[in-house]
Amino acid sequence: MAKVFIYPATSLILSDMVERWGHSPLGAALAIRERIQTPGLDSPPLQMTADDPKKGLKYAAVEVPSGVRGRMALFGPMIDEADAAIIVNDADLAFGCMGCARTNELVKYRIRSRGIPVLDLLYPRCDEDGVAFVAAIKAFLDGLSGGEA
Amino acid sequence: MSAPVRVAQLSCGPEHSGVQKEIYDAAAAVNAEMFFPDVTLNDIREAYGSFGLEARSADLQLAIARAKALVEGRVEADAVFIATCFRCAEAAIVRNELRRYIHEQSDLPVVSYSFTERTTSGTLLTRMEALTTIARRRALLAREVQEGLTMGVDSGSSTTKAIVMRDNAIIGTGWAPTTNVIGSAEEVIAAACSEAGISRDDLDAIGTTGYGRFLVGEKIGADLVQEELTVNSKGAVYLAGRQRGEATVIDIGGMDNKAISVQDGIPGTFTMGGICAGASGRFLEMTAKRLGVDITELGPLAMKGFSKEVPMNSYCIVFGTQSLVNALAAGSSAEDVAAAACHSVAEQVFEQQLQEVDIKEPVIMVGGTSLIEGLVHEMGELLQTKVIVPPHSQYIGAVGSALLASGFIRGDLG
Amino acid sequence: MKEYVPAYAGTVTKYVFVESPDVTPQQLAIRAYEVSEGVMIKETCFGLQITGTEAEVARVIAEIRKMDPSRIFVKDRGFPPGDPRRCRANLGGARPGYYGHEFETGLLRYISYGLDRCAREGAAAPPPETCPPARRLDVRRLQQIIEAEER
Repeated sequence: MAKVFIYPATSLILSDMVERWGHSPLGAALAIRERIQTPGLDSPPLQMTADDPKKGLKYAAVEVPSGVRGRMALFGPMIDEADAAIIVNDADLAFGCMGCARTNELVKYRIRSRGIPVLDLLYPRCDEDGVAFVAAIKAFLDGLSGGEA
Repeated sequence: MSAPVRVAQLSCGPEHSGVQKEIYDAAAAVNAEMFFPDVTLNDIREAYGSFGLEARSADLQLAIARAKALVEGRVEADAVFIATCFRCAEAAIVRNELRRYIHEQSDLPVVSYSFTERTTSGTLLTRMEALTTIARRRALLAREVQEGLTMGVDSGSSTTKAIVMRDNAIIGTGWAPTTNVIGSAEEVIAAACSEAGISRDDLDAIGTTGYGRFLVGEKIGADLVQEELTVNSKGAVYLAGRQRGEATVIDIGGMDNKAISVQDGIPGTFTMGGICAGASGRFLEMTAKRLGVDITELGPLAMKGFSKEVPMNSYCIVFGTQSLVNALAAGSSAEDVAAAACHSVAEQVFEQQLQEVDIKEPVIMVGGTSLIEGLVHEMGELLQTKVIVPPHSQYIGAVGSALLASGFIRGDLG
Repeated sequence: MKEYVPAYAGTVTKYVFVESPDVTPQQLAIRAYEVSEGVMIKETCFGLQITGTEAEVARVIAEIRKMDPSRIFVKDRGFPPGDPRRCRANLGGARPGYYGHEFETGLLRYISYGLDRCAREGAAAPPPETCPPARRLDVRRLQQIIEAEER
């Protein structure tokens, strides 16, 4: 089973595809769940505190806005542990954890600079796109070790 | 307790910066509740296209859609709070344009703020309090005439002031540096009452404002405890005789500066800053001390000098002082240095704060620093306008408090 | 600052979306309850939220996916169901993630079509080498249009 970082990290479609074919999707929900299930100081809604932007300093310098560093504290460790990644490049309508364009630029760069296998896609706009989209993901995932043959 | 004021939040980043709870806490402290205007995905697509500002961040697009829903009346709110990350250029553009759009297209009071992960509810409190006051106390803020015998106390970070008013006239004043908050307040109250020839028991109502407003208010049993943004706005337009129409109020304080865009005496948009002391009254105090003159002499001294002769434009008080020391060591005259210090403070306020409010004439300067004529002159030069400094401008908070407190004489407002 | 004590620690919550002419969210819920064995099921307008240990949730999902494999989609959720921090009733508007789901559910029909085709044709379904080509008009097609217009 390979750990596959999904972009957008909030994607229902990518999360489903990765899990459906026997791999483990790494997305925003996992990082949020970790915080929601950890006791500490109360900081609704995401249980993110000023410590998160500080942890984000590992990925972006102090002059980078706190929202970018906070989001990188969610995504950075997952990108570091990912075995592969799938990127949908026209994910313009993804909000919240994916709502900051500057973070998203950095997330994509960090994925690419890791040198792991990356599948680049665009969202399907018709049935035939859908076939190509699904087939590409399946072929990509099948090629990763530990996946469904 | 009255119904909470509903404050619509338009933002990008506070949840991920760990400051959303600080926003919630600041709102709760002034009986307000934050909410997120409900829009649909289609609203976001449509609003983004029709608003015409291309923002790549989806959360900023969402903020634009929410702002449109508020302005078009599809979602009801009492006030609007816009918050984005400090140092994000894209967000700063959207934040400023949305603030302007809401201010121009609706009656909603709006405040914008750029936060860091260090932003606390305490920092946000005064802004949130002002926002809710404007929404909640429009009737109180509509007051244009002082009635009865009232007193206002302004417990500021540098100085404490008291004013006694009777039948729309100032009859007693008190002024002292703030040392012990309560002690300084007692001192100025005694002075103001003595000058007015009254005893404290004669007073019909009391108002407090400034940093120490809660402490002093509780101690002296104030009827009105109010933040300085709304109080100073009222005081400024009252003293300047500009209660109707537009105005801009600038108050360069000891610890932070306020720039308020006022309509009929009620703040529409405002900024409150003071990250660095180089842009505050404190720097002028330091300058006076270094030049060996009293702060009251700094203004006239500056008027005799030329600010352009000395390079000085730091928002940091340490670097600013360094420029000052270097200039004196290089043989610059005290007059030029004084003028440069005034220019430096005016320029910092102009660059960092006045860009966030729409400057509308008349521009009224208030607070202790408005007595430093060199500073007023430099601000007028930067804004290309004649700046009004009303009489008693250094007592602005106390006057505003005394004026507004008269709304409590009959106990019919609260 | 107030202390935070998490509820549902050690559990996972998953969203189950159904976009099917044959399976309604109600039918999905009934089936989920049948196989739940005490796992928490919460019905929503789009499908379900399932909360339990990782193994329990995986077992229930494997069962209900069988109802219509190409039209049932699953995703992790960070919050437990009905969490007041994310509830629309408390926020005034939808949580940010809702819009992302709204956007992607609009595309699910293409994904379902793709899944059906891949399931039917298996390895025969041609996986493209790279991402789908940019949607530019083919130059020959453009020429045909120009010629048709000129005629």
